[in-house]
Amino acid sequence: MGMTFERSPGAVGSSLVLHSYNVRICHWINVIAGGYLLLSGIHIFLDFPELYWGHTGYQGYPALFKLSDWGLSWDEAGALGNRMWGRNYHFTFAWVFLINGLVYVAWSFARGHVRGRLLPGRSELAPASLKADLVEQLRGPAPKRAAATTYGPLQKLSYSLLIFVFVPVMLLTGLAQAPAFAAAWPWLLDIFGGRQSARTLHAAGTVLFVVFVLVHVVEVLLAGAVNRVRSMITGKFRLPEEGM
Amino acid sequence: MSKPEPGSSRIVVPRSMSRPRLMSRRRLLTSVPALGGLLATGCADALVPPTVRGGLIGAADVLTMSTTRWLMADQPLAREYERSDIAPDFPTWGQTNPDNEDYQRHLSEGFVNWSLPVNGLVGRPRAFSLDELRQLPSRTQITAHVCEQGWSAIGEWIGAPLTQVLEAAGGVSPEARYVVFNAMDRWYESIDMFDVVHPQTILAYGLNGDELPVGNGAPLRLRVERQCGYKNIKFLKSIDVVDSLVGFGRGTGGLSSDFGFHWYGGV
Repeated sequence: MGMTFERSPGAVGSSLVLHSYNVRICHWINVIAGGYLLLSGIHIFLDFPELYWGHTGYQGYPALFKLSDWGLSWDEAGALGNRMWGRNYHFTFAWVFLINGLVYVAWSFARGHVRGRLLPGRSELAPASLKADLVEQLRGPAPKRAAATTYGPLQKLSYSLLIFVFVPVMLLTGLAQAPAFAAAWPWLLDIFGGRQSARTLHAAGTVLFVVFVLVHVVEVLLAGAVNRVRSMITGKFRLPEEGM
Repeated sequence: MSKPEPGSSRIVVPRSMSRPRLMSRRRLLTSVPALGGLLATGCADALVPPTVRGGLIGAADVLTMSTTRWLMADQPLAREYERSDIAPDFPTWGQTNPDNEDYQRHLSEGFVNWSLPVNGLVGRPRAFSLDELRQLPSRTQITAHVCEQGWSAIGEWIGAPLTQVLEAAGGVSPEARYVVFNAMDRWYESIDMFDVVHPQTILAYGLNGDELPVGNGAPLRLRVERQCGYKNIKFLKSIDVVDSLVGFGRGTGGLSSDFGFHWYGGV
């Protein structure tokens, strides 16, 4: 597991710039855009708190999910959700998120960040490596982790899936719900099996996104909150003393 | 669910419409004699909403509208479905029976005294009775009504293409930029020439083989299939062809945009 949490040789006790400008700026823009996307998406959903499959779905049509089954009536949900606010901010921050993401990805490819730090290597994807990493993660705070200056195999895998699979799927399931995009790109309706299927997948993706954020924040706290957050703001990361 | 039949997926409307940025009015008008000068300016109008809101939201509005319009430069049709896809119970939403005297009188008379004035920048402003609209060439389309709230339902609409109605009113003059739809429940909405000339933009008087039900906008409603439900205004009262939206409500081009929705309902 030595390769999981590499320590820069001879750098013990000193500090280094862990995250580049680009990663830091894009990260915090993402926090703002992601926060608005989540909040505005919940507003839009609350105004029609049911999910369906296929092309058709409306009140009274067989639903996959009804918020009213979970204790919040249609009217109560509607009173909480403001779809006008939600639509305005959802589409605005979707653009912020998209442009920010394109800048990040273009820069990361150009600077070798994707191959160098982000994508897991073949050996890291081996079941034994992933299993060992998982065991390590579940054991809780560990000195090795606090000192890590590279991403672990599970971390690389989850970031890569997030950026190159999850975000595009969320984008496309969002676009498939828009009549103009569905007219321009009819395949959007075909790949997801209809507007309501796309909406349902978009909502399921929202739950995944929340889970990702929660796990991400917990991991940061466990791996040395102050040092980690500072490294994402100023870039500066202090390498802990051996055996801390 | 099915794809549109071969041949119906490309439309007869102007190739020149396919490059909104590049076309000149002159080229547009001379290249589509079939539309008899129906098309007008509307090149920049196709990319930018009539009133641009401030801040980031306004910037996003412009990006959204110009991106989708650029992607739809060859004027694709919204998907058309099979009869078997039609929703068992087409939902009604919003205003389902305007409770004003005028509407109730027309309803009780079976809309025989109702008529649709077409005013503004047309060659021969006139009114159309329901029968006169039915006598115009009609279009039937099985499409999904996509409500901005989140629901969607497939229905078979029949109506007169808006271009046919405008032609019958003498065609539109070159200054025309928007068509404003006024409703009997005091709602109003507008669309630009990019959607006006689209073959699926119809004034529907029938749903699923019957007359248009009251809850769905009897006697006549707009179908503008590449925009969300709120643009598909019901209970039509009159139409104005205009070069400016000033003077209608707060001037943003629709009651929903007066409230704060984006005027362009493509997403």
